Amino acid sequence: MNGLVHGAVYGGVIASVLLTTIAFGIWFERKFAGRMQSRLGPTIVGPFGLLQSVADVVKLLQKEDIVPRDADRPLFDLAPVLAALFSLGVAAVVPFSPTIIASDLDVGVLYILAVGGLMVIPTFMAGWASNNKFALIGGMRAIAQSVSYGVPLVLAVLVPVILSGTLSVSGIVTYQANHHWFLTWPVFIGVPAFAIYYMAMLAESNRIPFDIPEAESELVAGVTTEYTGAKFTLFYMAEYVHTLVGSAVGAALFLGGWDGPFAPGLHWMVLKTLVLFTVVYWVRWSLLRLRSDQLMVLCWKWLTPIGVLLVLGAAAWVQFVPGGFQ
Amino acid sequence: MNHIGFFIIAASALVSAILVVRSQNLIRAVLWLGVTLLSTAAFYAMLESSFLAGVQVLVYVGGVVTLMIFGVMITRRHEGILVHAENHGSMKGFAVAGSLFAVVAFAIRATDGLDRERPFTPLTTKDLGRELLQTHVLAFEVVSFLLLAAIIGAIVIARKRDPVEKPAALPAPHATPSATKEAHP
Repeated sequence: MNGLVHGAVYGGVIASVLLTTIAFGIWFERKFAGRMQSRLGPTIVGPFGLLQSVADVVKLLQKEDIVPRDADRPLFDLAPVLAALFSLGVAAVVPFSPTIIASDLDVGVLYILAVGGLMVIPTFMAGWASNNKFALIGGMRAIAQSVSYGVPLVLAVLVPVILSGTLSVSGIVTYQANHHWFLTWPVFIGVPAFAIYYMAMLAESNRIPFDIPEAESELVAGVTTEYTGAKFTLFYMAEYVHTLVGSAVGAALFLGGWDGPFAPGLHWMVLKTLVLFTVVYWVRWSLLRLRSDQLMVLCWKWLTPIGVLLVLGAAAWVQFVPGGFQ
Repeated sequence: MNHIGFFIIAASALVSAILVVRSQNLIRAVLWLGVTLLSTAAFYAMLESSFLAGVQVLVYVGGVVTLMIFGVMITRRHEGILVHAENHGSMKGFAVAGSLFAVVAFAIRATDGLDRERPFTPLTTKDLGRELLQTHVLAFEVVSFLLLAAIIGAIVIARKRDPVEKPAALPAPHATPSATKEAHP
């Protein structure tokens, strides 16, 4: 019973904090994009336009909930809920500080990969159940992309697991706090592994340059074409949460998580997460979308072989270089 | 408390398994299969085998179900969102399922050491890794070699358009489904 209460409290707090962060994250992205394009971004609602997201959410929730006549109604309704559930679910094993972690699973890394990988199911469900050609093409693209990018993602995440000798996320962070961040040492393994993780994370959360399931210039809005109002809001939030949590996981696995001088751990973790989160939008407003085939070439001919080499390199490092975890 | 959880999971596993074979729409059947596999993962988690539960979700729900959807979408003709599941031979299926149940039940009955009274100690992930990569390393390598062969075989079958060989020289096509299914890590 205690576990249930603990889970409910932690889950409620973490979900609220993440969703609030997302609301201001969207404001920040719009400001950021505006400055990059010599515009001002939102300025009207609240000081510096800070309340723009609040106004947007209120507006979206008021909109009519339209379900296409020929849609598969149960799946259509379920998809956004599952998307929100899976994207928030990953946050359960992310250590935000030495003590703030909802569940310190001993197989936390596996849990992240498993639950994060499930995100493709609601995306496909939405595309399928909408009974719309654009949505269906978007759903198919999402499936193809997820099948491909799962492989380099797992390979990249295996590198910190091998280097630290544990599958627990907090264990990996503690190892880095006691030794060195994996991004900085061994640098020729850490940097490429982090780069592959970051690209695969962008692909998993359907961000530019890998947003081909949504591809608004080709597919209207991809899988979310038929969604309106609250359900669309859920999808939209789930995508941002997925990116934010993906950044947090990257910070924990490669950038030492809560480790850092002077300030408390929580501050460092938040700072690192937000830096990675900002880079996502930097990339988003700088690069163009890849074509489907380019995406596959990048994944199978470059990221996957390099990932295999990195895993071998990490294993050799642990085995032969003194001062490894054994 | 645990008993209630067990019965909820068991009910969800059984109901979704029945819906897999009773669904008229193939895509829905595949999604119900995902629920069945998730329930199995929940059983593993209840038995404190968290590694097995994680792998079950990662490989089966994230991998196999996704690939099955992919396969259905590419190979089957569909009008709108209806892909008809052709549920022929339910009696044969019943016979096969019944005999499989009998075999598994017999195996469980015949296994020693499944004593209700004995304290239950789950295998840790570390022990599992040691067992796989030290005690049973030969079997592990043989399995991975077999999977590699299956992947290469699947590529050979899929690349029919290459004008190198006549189709008659290709291996039997019934190898395809198992090969593609196993190809995911």
